[in-house]
Amino acid sequence: MIRLENIEVTFGNFTAIPQLNLEVERGEFFTLLGPSGCGKTTALRTLAGFIDPAAGEVFIDGKAVTRLPSDKRQVGMVFQNYALFPSMTVWENIAFGLRVRKEKPAASDRLVRDIAQRVDLSASQLRKNVAELSGGQQQRVAVARALVLQPKILLLDEPLSNLDAKLRHQLRQQLKELQSEFGITTVYVTHDQDEALAMSDRIAVFNKGVVEQVGTPQTIYDASATEFVCTFIGDSSVLTSDFVSELNRHSDGTLAPGANSYLRVEKASLTPPAGNTDAVPVRGVVVSRSYHGLHSRYTVRCHGSELRLLVKEDGGVHPVPGAEATVYVRPVHVLQYDPQTGEAVGNPALAASRP
Amino acid sequence: MNPTPARTMVRSPFVLFVGVILTWFIAAFLVWPNANVLIETFFPDGRFSGRAAEKLLSSERAMKSLGNSFLLAAALSVTVNVVGIFIVLVTHYFRIRGARILFLGYATTFIYGGIVLAAGYKFIYGDKGIVTALLSDAFPGMDRNWFSGFLAVLVVMTFATTTNHMLFVANALKGVDHQTIEAAKNMGASTWTILRRIVLPMLKPTLFAVTILSFLTGLGALSAPQVLGGREFQTITPMILTFTNSPTSRDLAALLAVILGVATILMLTVMTRMERGGTNFSVSKVSSALEKQKITHPVGNALVHVAAYVLFAIYTLPVALIVIYSFADSAAIQTGQISLDSLTVDNYIRVLTQSSALRPFVVSIVYSAVAAAIAVGGLLFVARLLQKHRNWLTAVFEYLLHIPWILPSALLALGLIISYDHPNPLVGGAVLTGTTVILLIAFVTVKIPFTLRMLKASFASVNSSLEEAGAIMGAGTLYIFRRILLPLVLPTAAAIAALNFNSMLDDYDTAIFLAHPLVQPLGLVIKANTDGAEGAEGVSNTFVYTVLLMIITGLTMYLVYGRARRRDASTAPRNGAPKDAAPKDTVLSKS
Repeated sequence: MIRLENIEVTFGNFTAIPQLNLEVERGEFFTLLGPSGCGKTTALRTLAGFIDPAAGEVFIDGKAVTRLPSDKRQVGMVFQNYALFPSMTVWENIAFGLRVRKEKPAASDRLVRDIAQRVDLSASQLRKNVAELSGGQQQRVAVARALVLQPKILLLDEPLSNLDAKLRHQLRQQLKELQSEFGITTVYVTHDQDEALAMSDRIAVFNKGVVEQVGTPQTIYDASATEFVCTFIGDSSVLTSDFVSELNRHSDGTLAPGANSYLRVEKASLTPPAGNTDAVPVRGVVVSRSYHGLHSRYTVRCHGSELRLLVKEDGGVHPVPGAEATVYVRPVHVLQYDPQTGEAVGNPALAASRP
Repeated sequence: MNPTPARTMVRSPFVLFVGVILTWFIAAFLVWPNANVLIETFFPDGRFSGRAAEKLLSSERAMKSLGNSFLLAAALSVTVNVVGIFIVLVTHYFRIRGARILFLGYATTFIYGGIVLAAGYKFIYGDKGIVTALLSDAFPGMDRNWFSGFLAVLVVMTFATTTNHMLFVANALKGVDHQTIEAAKNMGASTWTILRRIVLPMLKPTLFAVTILSFLTGLGALSAPQVLGGREFQTITPMILTFTNSPTSRDLAALLAVILGVATILMLTVMTRMERGGTNFSVSKVSSALEKQKITHPVGNALVHVAAYVLFAIYTLPVALIVIYSFADSAAIQTGQISLDSLTVDNYIRVLTQSSALRPFVVSIVYSAVAAAIAVGGLLFVARLLQKHRNWLTAVFEYLLHIPWILPSALLALGLIISYDHPNPLVGGAVLTGTTVILLIAFVTVKIPFTLRMLKASFASVNSSLEEAGAIMGAGTLYIFRRILLPLVLPTAAAIAALNFNSMLDDYDTAIFLAHPLVQPLGLVIKANTDGAEGAEGVSNTFVYTVLLMIITGLTMYLVYGRARRRDASTAPRNGAPKDAAPKDTVLSKS
């Protein structure tokens, strides 16, 4: 559906994106994830036609659209702040594109009411000024305004970033539901990994203008292809080579002691995991415990590593700081990266998901 | 800040002292003179009389001036908007080649206005003007008086008052969220559609405000009609001036001033209502900065460029000619013919050394400096008081201090004249009319509203914990004021004083009513020179004055605005005068 081929974007002397290749499937919810300034918004704006790439081609539905202006690409966009026109009512906002297209008034009105109903905006809300709407309603207006023109692709530029946490959670759900209901190919930009993991079919993780990994949320999380992805997403402890050697001693010894090694916090446990015989017990001393109600966070020092782990508060083992403890770790959960290149080592499945 | 009950407030000796002086000043110079104008008009002998109205209705000249003023006001609201919106768009919205240069050209009205600008245009386009001289060489039969009357006044005032657009409309334009423009583009809107349906509607409140200000500028115009209106085009304020000078028609002057005042108050009420009503600025919390738009249509783009540069020429030609001819000898000025060797610094030497030529300049500088210092110095205490204590009493004070804001300066001046041309107990039985003090009082009065608002905002921006910290450590009211607040507010106070100083330096509208016959400020001398009173030397003196004024004003503007802009990231400029300045302040000082 969308193909970015060897895209290069420069601003003066600064190269925002050196070389970008991406492919998005029809109907997919595709997320560009990365820290601020990583080039994800630049990539989206290149796709939208607001930025002319210095090199490369953009294809939508098999057609090259690189030189086409934004409105000829059949893409709808929801802006970071929704970019609703403050001087117009909700109805006028949604009808704007239709009026520009010189659609007949009656047809416009029907289309506007139709789309408003689908995004749950009432007839009375249509008459309101946009400033009178809540953040969630404004978002629905922005989505309706984009969708009423029946674009092939919907682009969303951090649309949840200026809302408070609770509303963000709620709208995330709504947005995802709207997308699956309309079945429209969607490209979503965010720096919030939680959002990306929960909403996306696939995610592209950006770092300094380069895509580090493309994959499903689970692949990105469990099989991070690079050290950057591993540390950017989720929470993990750094393992010393001593710790890795200890794991090797008690298993078939496939881990590389010289690599940078990480273990996700939820993957270690204080009790032997049921049904898994390959878990290695490692002795250590509890350094600290913080209580969070649902769970406690422990730090256990073993073999030079400060291993952090989550323990569910279900009445099980709860050693106090200073006590000895046994941590169970499965070697397959250890993520290892080449100290020079930052690429995953030892696990060919990881390397395969690198673009 | 919590409201302090009025009764508690007056227990403080500091408040009491400031309050007593303030009450006297307001009563003597803000309320009584203006009330007196009303009394003089409608109750000349203690009983109601419609005589002034009858006189007005029977005076053809006065009635015509009324009509002319409203005609000028209406025409000006259209022309200033057309030119003003255009120059704002080409400097701030569209991608135009050389936009920076264009901006500097259009911004020349920041450094000269009022009588100086009117005089400048007359010296260039008037019957003895430089351009007229050149033109009549080419077309011997032409009417040398071509640049006078309604059209000349309208043209000059149009180009003189786009300053408000450059300040306020440009600022509002910066508030337009660029994402809304991209959203519209994404939906297929053209350059013109985006401008008409997205951008201009967002500027509507500001445009409305500047339109009203343009209207008021036209209504109260004095210098331009006087200098360029000729016999057939005279407006209200010049009439008021004429009638004021003869005791028998003073009631007529008063009535005209009252009419002007009522019209001004009405317009300003409408404006305030509108301001309170709907500002529909960006609903978003994070908006992105406006980027300049390319005009995609090649012919349209070319036309806009041509128009922009034609306007640039119109704006800069007077300035350029004034600067060049300020170095020319009188022969060159009279013929318009100029050569390199006729350019000397003799004019400057004469103005700066000859006492008669230097005198008006010094008079203006002294008046402006003293008035600016008094206004800012006095209001520092008042602003602090009004900002700290909120109750009915301070609210009344604040409203009264805004009287000069809602009344035209002609009315204020007339009020002072008729109230203090006989011994008056309010000022200890002295006669003020005809002394040098009365103009100073008027200068201070006129600057009160602007100064007060700016200083109040400045005090409000000081973190109140600082003050509380001082109080906890045992510092008294005055000590806190002197050691903590004053140093924080001082940069703003200095900026306000500088802007006040600037606007009074070339004042004409107030001085023409009130100046001492032997202590004439610059504005009056420049006006006299446009009438040819001092001959060729007077003209070249005026050129030199103008250049010096432009330098002083430009320098002040740079110090106040230019530096503030560079610190834009911090909160500092909010204390500085420019951003909070209300449109009316700038307008009235230059009408």
